[in-house]
Amino acid sequence: MSRSTRLPVRRVYATLAAVSALVLTAGCSSNAPAAGESEASAESATSDVEEAAEDTAAESCTYPVTVTDMAGNEVTVESVDSVVVTDNRMFATIADWGIQPTAAPRTLMSPNNPMKDDDSILDTGSHGEPDFTKVIEADPTVIISGYRYGDHADALKDAAPGAAFIDTTNNEMTADEYAVASTQMLGEIFCMQDKATELVDQFHTSLEETKAAYDPAMTVMGLVTSGNEIRYSNPTDGRGASIYFSLLGLTPALDQDGSTNHQGDDISLEAIAESNPDFYLVLDRDAAFAGSDGEETTPALELINGSASLAATPAVVNQAIYIMPADYYLTEDIYAYMDVLSGLKQAFEAQK
Amino acid sequence: MASPAAPAPRITNVDASSPSRRIPQKHRLPKFLPIMLGIVFTIALVVLSLFVGVADITDTAGRGHEFLWITRVPRTVALVLSGASMAIAGLIMQLLTQNRFVEPTTVGTTEWAGLGLLLTYIFMPTSGIFTKMVIAIVFAFAGTMVFFAFLSRVKLRSSLIVPIVGLMIGAVVGALSTFLAIRYNLLQTLGSWFAGRFTGIEVGRYEPLWIALLVCAFVVIFADRFTVAGLGKEVATNVGLNYEAVVLLGVALVSIVTGVVTVVVGALPFLGLVVPNLVSLVRGDNLRTNIPWVFLAGIWLVTICDLIGRTIIMPFEIPVSLVLGAVGAVVFIGLLLRTRRTSAS
Repeated sequence: MSRSTRLPVRRVYATLAAVSALVLTAGCSSNAPAAGESEASAESATSDVEEAAEDTAAESCTYPVTVTDMAGNEVTVESVDSVVVTDNRMFATIADWGIQPTAAPRTLMSPNNPMKDDDSILDTGSHGEPDFTKVIEADPTVIISGYRYGDHADALKDAAPGAAFIDTTNNEMTADEYAVASTQMLGEIFCMQDKATELVDQFHTSLEETKAAYDPAMTVMGLVTSGNEIRYSNPTDGRGASIYFSLLGLTPALDQDGSTNHQGDDISLEAIAESNPDFYLVLDRDAAFAGSDGEETTPALELINGSASLAATPAVVNQAIYIMPADYYLTEDIYAYMDVLSGLKQAFEAQK
Repeated sequence: MASPAAPAPRITNVDASSPSRRIPQKHRLPKFLPIMLGIVFTIALVVLSLFVGVADITDTAGRGHEFLWITRVPRTVALVLSGASMAIAGLIMQLLTQNRFVEPTTVGTTEWAGLGLLLTYIFMPTSGIFTKMVIAIVFAFAGTMVFFAFLSRVKLRSSLIVPIVGLMIGAVVGALSTFLAIRYNLLQTLGSWFAGRFTGIEVGRYEPLWIALLVCAFVVIFADRFTVAGLGKEVATNVGLNYEAVVLLGVALVSIVTGVVTVVVGALPFLGLVVPNLVSLVRGDNLRTNIPWVFLAGIWLVTICDLIGRTIIMPFEIPVSLVLGAVGAVVFIGLLLRTRRTSAS
């Protein structure tokens, strides 16, 4: 099938790996994040930026700009003429700000992102089968990389040795801190601090409104549905509901630490029902494949409402169920958080 | 020089080869006692399964007792049906291929069922569980027939070649499924369908498994035909059996069981392999009297594994397929070593 196209890529990848093994890139600073580098304030010290950076062109900005990336490295950005972005948490912001990357893994973009079908952006492929030749072809001045592409940092540096490498890896911050800090970082890189500040303010407003709508007496349980199974998403860790437990101070119906992965834990329906949740916060891993032909059904909702075990739980009785957006696992960015927050706000208010 | 006064009793061939555990007539246990004990043990396990879980089913004041009918009974019934039917499916496969190491997961039947499931996901995403099941069964049947077609071409019928052929076909089909799953972003969905688990079994989600009960009844009715077919095509044809028809029937039964169990529960590895072999080890090869034991042992194995998975990290669960895989692998290696030893001595 696609063997003929895959082989050369493999070969390039192999040579890249060999090169990176031979030439140990000197000066590749180990990303030891400075502890607690969360910039709580929106206004960070910036170079003198003219206020006229309203339009998309970054010409009114004085490059080079020195920014601190998410891993804590000081990086000097010479220009943003050719940008390669691989971290899917940055795509929505970049599209929203009208920045056109030269290459990006379009495979990892949400179908709702206008860049997904933009053939002028070279597709570097999924993190499982990255195509670094596209990076070479893009000849980037800046690479913004991390998350799913986290393991490919060296290969990317080899593919574009001249580019400023912005590492978006950070395991210290909470999800909301990260969303804010990474937005501000993008603002600095592209000289769009105003837009970044605006976005961060929106996020905070959204957060406050949702907090105000939530009554702590309401117990919440995070669920992950996939392949006709209902699993538990614990309130402290993992990629599903846990973020919102900490953000909004939700009261967990069942306070049990589970796994930190994104697939949830196997839990018997009895255990879910016994904890008697007032509200379900659901990450539906199959949502992307269901309503594609315009149908308004989500597999998760069918599954939960169709379950005899859960029928008597207050959450089902009152239909207090919020299903996260279908593309959530492809975005996980500040916009997605705001989406979920406003969805939760409506759901909480409907229960009052 | 010394002439023997009393000659030692001569050991004849007949004595030497006769089973050493011959029980004298007067101490012989009643014939039905072992099977009665087996049934009692099974009932004990079933009762245990009914009482193990998070909800307190003795609580009649709250909602606890409702769960007896919502989850406990369905789950236990699912355990019994899938355990018995997957074990018997393994037995049929072993007879038809005349090979001890064959079962639905080692000849690719499960992979084919999974491929069918995946294709329904891709092309008919809103289809119900029944549609998915029928398509999974059709694929399992076609795939198993492909395996038999391969097998009839392979002249080397050694005990290792047969499962290797099956595993190879299964691997190819599995690779195709994985490729499609990656293409359509369904890898995790595929994974969670495939991991055999009784976690989500409740009223309204296990009923298709009753089909497996029908299949088991069929197997009992046609037991003798399968036994004769197990002697090989020539012998079976000589005694007037329609060999092809019996093979077709066997494959159909195996496919139905595998399709239903894969869709409702998921893949249950090693079950069809370990159970019939263990029963043969203990009781020798007599299909007609072994069938009940295969049913019972299949139920025991699945139920015990599920009870372990249910209790070990309460309130969470470990999928039964994980426990089965661990237990099954140990037993399987033990079997292999044992057959090596006995054939070497």
